[in-house]
Amino acid sequence: MSKKKWLTSFTAIALVGGLLVGCSGNKNNASSPSASASAPASQSASASPTASAAPAGPVDGGTITISTFSDIVNVNPLYVQDTASGDIQNLLYANLFDYDRNANVTVEPWSLATELPTVSADGKTYTIKLKSTPKWSDGQPVNADDLIYFINTVKNPAAGSPGISSFDKVDKLNKIDDQTVEIVLKQVYAPFLNALVTGIVPAHILKDVPLKDLQKNAYGIDPAKTVTNGPWKWTEWTQGQHITLDADPNYWGEKKPHIAKIIYKQYADQNTEVQAIIKGDTQMTEAIPVTQIEAVKKSANLSVILAPGPQYEYLGFNFKDANFPDKYSPFKGQKTRQAIAYAINRQGMVDNVLKGTGKLMNSPFLPGSWADPGDAATNYTYDAEKAKSLLKEDGWVAGKDGILAKDGHKFSFELQYNAGNSRREQVAAVIQQNLKDVGIEVTPKGIDFATWIDQNVTPGKFPALLLSWSLNNPDPDGESIFSSKYFPPTGQNSGWYKNTKLDDLWVKGQQTVDKTARAAIYKEIGKEISTDLPYVFLYQYGLPQVVDNATVHWADEDKPESTLAYGYLFHIINWWSDKK
Amino acid sequence: MTEFLIRRIIQSVLVLFLISLLSFALIHAAPGGPTKIYLSPSLSQEAAKVQAHNLGLDKPVPVQYFIWLGNMLKGDLGYTFKNHIAVGKILWPTVGHTMVLMGAAWLFSLVIAIPWGIYNSTRQYGLSDQTSNIIAYLGFAMPTFWFGIILQEYFALKHRWLPLSDMWTMGKEGNLADLFMHLVLPVTVLTLGFLASYSKYARASMLEVLDQDYIRTARAKGLKEGKVVFRHALRNALIPIITILGLDLSILVGGAALTESVFNWPGMGRLFVQMAVAREYSVLMAITLLVSVFVIIGNLFADILYAVVDPRVQLGRNGGTSS
Repeated sequence: MSKKKWLTSFTAIALVGGLLVGCSGNKNNASSPSASASAPASQSASASPTASAAPAGPVDGGTITISTFSDIVNVNPLYVQDTASGDIQNLLYANLFDYDRNANVTVEPWSLATELPTVSADGKTYTIKLKSTPKWSDGQPVNADDLIYFINTVKNPAAGSPGISSFDKVDKLNKIDDQTVEIVLKQVYAPFLNALVTGIVPAHILKDVPLKDLQKNAYGIDPAKTVTNGPWKWTEWTQGQHITLDADPNYWGEKKPHIAKIIYKQYADQNTEVQAIIKGDTQMTEAIPVTQIEAVKKSANLSVILAPGPQYEYLGFNFKDANFPDKYSPFKGQKTRQAIAYAINRQGMVDNVLKGTGKLMNSPFLPGSWADPGDAATNYTYDAEKAKSLLKEDGWVAGKDGILAKDGHKFSFELQYNAGNSRREQVAAVIQQNLKDVGIEVTPKGIDFATWIDQNVTPGKFPALLLSWSLNNPDPDGESIFSSKYFPPTGQNSGWYKNTKLDDLWVKGQQTVDKTARAAIYKEIGKEISTDLPYVFLYQYGLPQVVDNATVHWADEDKPESTLAYGYLFHIINWWSDKK
Repeated sequence: MTEFLIRRIIQSVLVLFLISLLSFALIHAAPGGPTKIYLSPSLSQEAAKVQAHNLGLDKPVPVQYFIWLGNMLKGDLGYTFKNHIAVGKILWPTVGHTMVLMGAAWLFSLVIAIPWGIYNSTRQYGLSDQTSNIIAYLGFAMPTFWFGIILQEYFALKHRWLPLSDMWTMGKEGNLADLFMHLVLPVTVLTLGFLASYSKYARASMLEVLDQDYIRTARAKGLKEGKVVFRHALRNALIPIITILGLDLSILVGGAALTESVFNWPGMGRLFVQMAVAREYSVLMAITLLVSVFVIIGNLFADILYAVVDPRVQLGRNGGTSS
């Protein structure tokens, strides 16, 4: 009896675990083909119904409860690597620079810098001037020493900071005066400006902590010991339950936050989050499953913000023979890959699976951004006949069972994705059916997220996969995921894709500072990559954000911006809430 | 009795040691790891390695085990890997929360199930007995999370009679009336599950006893039915029930991961799920051991109670009633 109970509860745990992992996969499969100067052109038109045109102007003193399904890990800007910690960091810390709605690097009243950096003629030296007003929550001024300490620590491998790749091009740092720092790069690196959209840490608190102990330090984990410099300060963290932030009465900015208290409340999964916001226990949730949109819309006071966001999904091929049972990768022919692109009904996925949150993609650049190659990239419209003829041209012949074969190798492969991610489950099923129609056998396989990343994705051991990249940094540079310099297990080119023309173009893109010249390079990349297809780029997609606009309000220019990473909190300093 | 206790305690320590060894090995054999779940080009493999080193995750698993065991013997449950929070700080509050929820559900279901089972045993296949059968089938067959969601939809969302989830309303922490309101739905869900098994046990156990010769004798003597049932049958029928209760004692801390998740109850079951996803080995180990301790205590308790209730059972050299 008791044994049986245990088994049951264990299965239950395993089940729920699977679900959760699926969700976290959703949020965490992040990547940032890293940084550079400018940004996607505005998509604000497509974004969000104006949630809350409040009758009266801003009111000070309200509360907002935001729901989440994962707890924070560490809010120390040196170590933030998950969405929840990133949310809280964004509320607790001022950034050096910020993004405007169109993802241009800019200086806001709440940014630490006083003006955009000046870049030397050779493109290697960035001079940054800080405001003189910013203060840490312990009253100490925010100054050049903090910025220098932050960058030196991030770029030091001994600290183990996940931000290292953004700063490892930094050669040296010169302190000009208390408010001015000169950053000298080893080489011209156009994406660098985006690395400066970052929070920094107080040198006077951390400078004596040995680097190897820094991640374990109470700073970033214990509210009482985490000295911050943003509009809100960290009051409380009850692990697994909630986090409380209060407006810092000593906040240095001229523009003060209207919302007095932010509660970041944790739920077991996205479905319980949906129930809580319908009940009115929470006022905002960053992302709900697409399948729940209709349920939420039934509540008159809730508005759903539907728009494509800064992430795209792809069908990734593996080019390494060793990853297939018969030691033969069927994806090596360019025509074969193009045939797969034609065979898949991407528009159908956008219409039926994404329900208004998606947009077709033909290259790794967000549609509408300045690097978007537009028509230069090939758009593969759904065309099964064309797919069949391309496959024939490439030497595939139908066998007795109707499945294509070439040189004795059957065209049959496993398509992996993370179990519990319902969007990928549906899309995998569509791909299976679409490819079956042209004679290719696909076996979709869902795997627990952590296991999958560890055993398949990172070491590059899978036949084909369904995954997405979050462009949490708006720079179009994608060298680290497409260049043959970045093969697994150390790099992110997990499909072992090699195209020397593209390898060179990515580097050229990094070394060209002029934006128009850079855009031309990415146009060329878009043309080449959409012809050669390391992936089938499926679609850009967004996560539906829900806001209770009976209580939470903003002026139109401060509404959330779906195309930005953390855009659901865009300009939250200007929002207000009627909830006490 | 003392000898028995000492022997059992020594056995228990050995069992706990084996459990810890086994679960440590299993948990570490699972793929993935605390530093491996973030996929991002910005986290280079080198940085991940340095993180693993700084967090002590790159040591061989046997070495990690002995470090863990050494700390455990000193009463130190360890720290979470990812952010170095003392395990106790996370764990102990959830133990309390789970005990409140499970204790309430357990007691509530016992108070209903046992008298009901007894009553039904005396009126087999009557209306009440059939009703309890139906409830038992429902309780066994219905997924608890599904039933929980149905209750939430009706009582919390459609009619706003009861809170949807959580243990307290924000800002009312410690208010007993508030806690009570929050307990109603999850306790109902859990009780339905318990009710099914306990009322069946009570009924079956009573029926078995009522069929014995000595009951027939008692009836033949002309004793009143009430006296037969309560004086003679009940005491004997309680023995297997007590065993089951002892064995189920671990439910108090084991929690119900699904119910806790649906009702967002900040308990140990929910914590276990979260920590399994995050691969926080030390928290998982602490929970596993804590539950094991309760299972062992429950067994011991059942054995002792057995002796108290049934004088024929002797806790001696050969008397350890294996359960």
